[in-house]
Order: sequence, then structure tokens, then C-alpha cells
Amino acid sequence: MSKRFLLTLILGLVALSIVPFAATAQMEKPKIGFLPGVVDPFYQVMEIGVNEAVADFGLEVVTQYPQTWGPSVQTPILEAMIARGDLDYLITAPTDKEQMIAPLQSAVDAGIKVITVDTFLGDGDYVNGPVTFPLSYIGSDNVEGGRIAARALAEVLGGKGKVYVQNTNVGVSTTEQRGQGFIEGISEFPEMELVGMDYNLDDANTAVEQTAAKLQAVPDLAGIFGVNVFSAYGAGNAVKAAGLEGKVQVIAFDATKDAIQNLRDGVVSLVIAQKPHDMGYLAVAFAMADWRGVTSIPKHVTTGYAVIDINNVDDPEVARFIYQVPGQ
Amino acid sequence: MAAESSSLAIASARTARQKQLVLIVSRVWAWVFLALLIAFFTASVFSTSGGSVNFLTLRNSQNILMAITPVLLMGLGQTFVIIAAGIDLSVGWVMGLASVISALVIADLVAQGMAETPAIVLGFVIGVIAAAIPGFINGVIIAKLRIPSFIVTLGMSFIARGISLLLSGGNVVIGQPPGVRAFGNESLLYLISGEGGGLYFLQRPNVTGEALQRLDRILPWPVVVTAIVVAIALFVLHKTQFGRHTYAIGGNREAALRAGVPVDRHIIMLYTLSGITCGIAGILHTARFNGGSSIAGDPLMLPSIAAVIIGGVSMFGGHGSVAGTVIGALIIAVLTTGLVMLNVQPFWQFIVVGIVVILAVLIDQARDLIIGRMESQG
Repeated sequence: MSKRFLLTLILGLVALSIVPFAATAQMEKPKIGFLPGVVDPFYQVMEIGVNEAVADFGLEVVTQYPQTWGPSVQTPILEAMIARGDLDYLITAPTDKEQMIAPLQSAVDAGIKVITVDTFLGDGDYVNGPVTFPLSYIGSDNVEGGRIAARALAEVLGGKGKVYVQNTNVGVSTTEQRGQGFIEGISEFPEMELVGMDYNLDDANTAVEQTAAKLQAVPDLAGIFGVNVFSAYGAGNAVKAAGLEGKVQVIAFDATKDAIQNLRDGVVSLVIAQKPHDMGYLAVAFAMADWRGVTSIPKHVTTGYAVIDINNVDDPEVARFIYQVPGQ
Repeated sequence: MAAESSSLAIASARTARQKQLVLIVSRVWAWVFLALLIAFFTASVFSTSGGSVNFLTLRNSQNILMAITPVLLMGLGQTFVIIAAGIDLSVGWVMGLASVISALVIADLVAQGMAETPAIVLGFVIGVIAAAIPGFINGVIIAKLRIPSFIVTLGMSFIARGISLLLSGGNVVIGQPPGVRAFGNESLLYLISGEGGGLYFLQRPNVTGEALQRLDRILPWPVVVTAIVVAIALFVLHKTQFGRHTYAIGGNREAALRAGVPVDRHIIMLYTLSGITCGIAGILHTARFNGGSSIAGDPLMLPSIAAVIIGGVSMFGGHGSVAGTVIGALIIAVLTTGLVMLNVQPFWQFIVVGIVVILAVLIDQARDLIIGRMESQG
């Protein structure tokens, strides 16, 4: 049987390798690679934006999601995408602003132009900063996002009380800035006190555990800021599990369906929505513009926020910023 | 009578042949699987991309070698430990610890004005020693206090995680001199293919633009380091008394003890060795990514154990080889790279690796069962 099996296999492989030539037609359009940071609704909505732009411009895209956050996982996928040899642009969210410089430099060396979305390399200033090779950085103004969260929390708490931050990893450009903006924002209110910031390594279960522990340790905790999808999920669900809905105010960054449900249930008082769809669409549009020889592409674009609360959550103008992933 | 005995002789000759066949199949199946995997990806990547993407390229071969370095290094120490019927679950966070400590030491020494090269060498040495210490402690507790390795190393994994996060403040440790990044990203040989190209030894040719795109790095330094470690491991496990003792302890600890093997001391050395290989993986991470990261190794721990099992190391101890672990790590890396190039969701990788892990153990058990049955019949 082994000979026959081998023969069938070889014939199959030969057949497979002949088929394509019939369908090959070299096109004069760029091929895009999309490499997000991790699988989550934020990046899935960004992918919708990427796919829409790709369809509008008649391009091809290769999308690959890392299963966990971090350079050890993102880099082998990046290397394989470079090794394809057919990509012209790479739209990516670097999982570390320092550690991903060398791997992404090798993409540039191989002739691929890099656009960073959501997160950035170096300090995000691609004109005068330490890293200038990416074409553009498209993302939220995260320090401002942190400030918005702090001010909103101060408003619902009447300008006083103990607050806590659920953060992801230190070293991630975006969430670090949100934490920083939040601390700045809280410092505008003398009667508010930051009692801690924990790092959940972008793991929802860890976020639930850490928040539950904090709720025990600080019985008069008044408010929590969850800096991204998993952090807000953990914070919201720990508050729910402790039966403290309404007593502890949660501000959720990222408008996932779960965050919106928690808003409706009274666990979350405010949801700050980023615009991942805009990031994805714009990144492809910039790649296309560069391909056509446009030279005035902005090195940095901030995409802004939509602030969602219980009063405007059903307003279609606001609700369209909720992260809607098909099939969920 | 004569006919009966000659038919018996034929039967026993057939049994011997079958036995040999079973042994060969159990030994080479992983190689065959790897070869089939490469053949499959070569054909399917080429055909699905309409001929624009090639799996079998020099660049991709170097990618795959780079991708396996941390998994393989962790797996090499683990190979020794598992052959001696133990397990080391602390490898991931010990690797992170070494990465953080080496980066901290290098950044500090350079800030204090030490020259770049000695600072890097010293930082790397201290990083590896820092990883050997938790390994040594694992070994002492397992050998002397007779606590199962599973529990001791699980505990050590949390301790190493805590220490590395404390030392780094949860941050990536930056401030590395340029030589660190060069070591992690430059290579022994460079090849510029095509017009005006050539082969360059040690020195990276100073090219830009289109020529830079044709530049391939051959044998990046982390791959060279890993190859040296593989060679040492091959020698130690298969050619020395240390290796024979490792198999003996895994086969039957009591018998090894009675035969005069210094079992406790040997077990301590095995876990220290596992710490050292993780330490090497950690310093290579610091070099490759130009910074120390405590979370560097955590996602690679389970793949490294999977590589060892696919390579035919028995979880009951006593069986296994260094070459097997290399094949196991290669199978995992080829799967990752191939699926990305096919543009299939890489999550399929987990399912395939899972199936291969179970298959590997099934083949080992079938081998033992078939041979056992043959022997009881003969």
C-alpha cells in the first residue's frame, strides 16, 4: 500500500502545482499584508476596514493574526509574511515599541513598506523620532483617551474617591499612554486618589482575578478604568461577580459587545470607543496613495473617539462605533 | 518433522524482519512526516499563490531556523530531563528571567562606561548563570526532598515570573548598545543573489535599495549558537557516561542507584542544564529583540515540550534522542511558517501539532506492544 500511497501523493502534488499557471495574471496593483497584535474584536473590526478598502481598490490582502500578544509570537509570523516575497505593504500593530524595531526593519530591508496602526514604534514620531522608517502611524491619541476616561470618571464620582487602573503590559505604546493620560487626568482632581495599576498581560482571566483582589483590598474603591478590551472585560465582570454594580463605576476603553452589555446592565458607566475601522481603511488608502506616487501622506493621523453612555447608546450616529464583528 | 522445523525457521526469520521494520518505522516516521510536510507546503504554497510565492527559498529556510532557536534550546534541556523521567515546567519564565537580567546588566555596565564588547559578554554570561540558579534549586529539591518534578518546577515557574517582573518593573529593559542588536540580527554569511552579487563572510555588505532586497542572511548568529548547543547535547547524551547515566535513571532509578550511578547529583545537574539552555534562549531573545522581556518565553513553553514529545522522548523516561527533538522543533516551525505562507489561519497549527503529539506517543506505544507480542510468541 505504501508505494501506491506515495504514487498518489506525488501525482496529487504535481497536479496541485500545475493548476495555478492557468489562473496567473500579473496585476499592476500592490499586495497588502495585515498583521494585527492579537485576536480581539478591536482588530477584527480593523480587519473589516482593511477588507472594505481592499475591495474598493481591487487589491489583494494577506491577513494573519497572532494567537497571543508579544514579539515572540508576532515575529515568526512576520518573518513568514516577509518570506512570501510578494507583499508590497505591511499594515501592522507592533506588539512592542522597542522589541519590534529590528524585525520590522528587516521587512523594510526586503522592500516592504510598513504602516503602523493602533500601536507604534519608538515614540511614534516618524519625522523626528528615533524610528522613521514606517510610512505612517494611524491610531488614537491615547494620552487624550486616558484623560477623557479620568475626567468622565471624576464627573460620575463627583470629583472624589479612590480609583484603580487595569492595564495590559508595560512597554505597549498605546495602553501605557492611556494609563499615563489617566494619571494626568486624575491629578486635576485633588480629592481623587489612584490606589493602584495592575498589569494583566492582556489576559481576561488575570484581569478578573486582579480586579477581584483589589475590590477586597480596597473596600471603598469608587472607580476602575479598564484600558482595553480584556482589561475592561475583567474589571466589569469582577465588579458584577462581587455584586457591586452601581457602587463601583467602571470606565471601559474599547466598545466591545461585552462592554456595551455591561453598560446596559449598569456595571459600566462609560464606554470609550476607538475607531479601528477608520484605522484599517485609512491604512490601505495610504498604501494605495503611496503606490500611486502620492508624497504628502501624513506621518501621523489620530482617529479620535466616540464616547458612549447609557443615554446615547441607541443613537445610530454613536452606535455605529460599537465593535460589530460578524458572527458574534 | 523436517518440514515443520524449517517452517518454524522461516516464521522466526519473518518475525525478525517484521521486528526490524517496526523499529525502523518508529525511528524514521518523524523524518518522513517532516519531509512530506515540506513537500506539501512547497506544492500548495506555490499553487495557491499562482506561482508568486515559494516556500523552498534560502530566506525561508533561515527564517525557520531562526524561529526554532528558542523552542529548540528549551527543548534540549528538557530532552535530558524527560529522558531521566522528570519534567521541567519552569523553562518559559526562566528564559524570561535570563532575558531581563542580561539586558539589565548590559545596560548598567554600558551606562557605567564599560566598553561595549566586554559588557555584552559579561551580561550574557550573568544571564545564563541567573537561569542556571533556579534550575539548580529545582534539582536539589527534586533529588534531595523527593518532591515530584512537576510540582517543584511549576512552583519555580511562578517564582521566576515574579522575580523577572519585579526586576524589570514589568517593562521591557531597553538601553542596549548597538552590538546587542547586531548579534541577534546579523549572520555568519551574507549572500546577494543575482547581478553584482556575491557571498560575504562575517561582514555585512553595505548595500541599499534594490540590492538590499536581494540580500540573504545565512546562518544568523542565534542559529550558530543553537547549532553549537545541539552538537554539545548530541555528544553528551549519546557519547558520554553522563548520557548513559541519564538513560539509566530514566529507565529504572533503583537499578541505576544499585549500579553505582550518583543519582541525586546527576538529577541536580540535569535541571541545572535545563536552566542553562533556557538561559541561552533568554540572552538570544535579548539580542534578537534588542531588549530584555520577562514574557519572552512563556508562549514557547508548551511548544518546546511538544517538540520533545514529537521527537520520541518517552514521558516515562529511558527513551529519546537529541536528533528527535530537533525534528520535533522543525515540524512545529515548518507548520507555522507554511500555514502563514498558505494564508491559512495559523490557529490550525495548534490542531495539527496536537494531532502529531498524540500520534507520536501512539507510534511509540504501538512499537512496544508489537515487539512485546512478537517476543512472547517467539
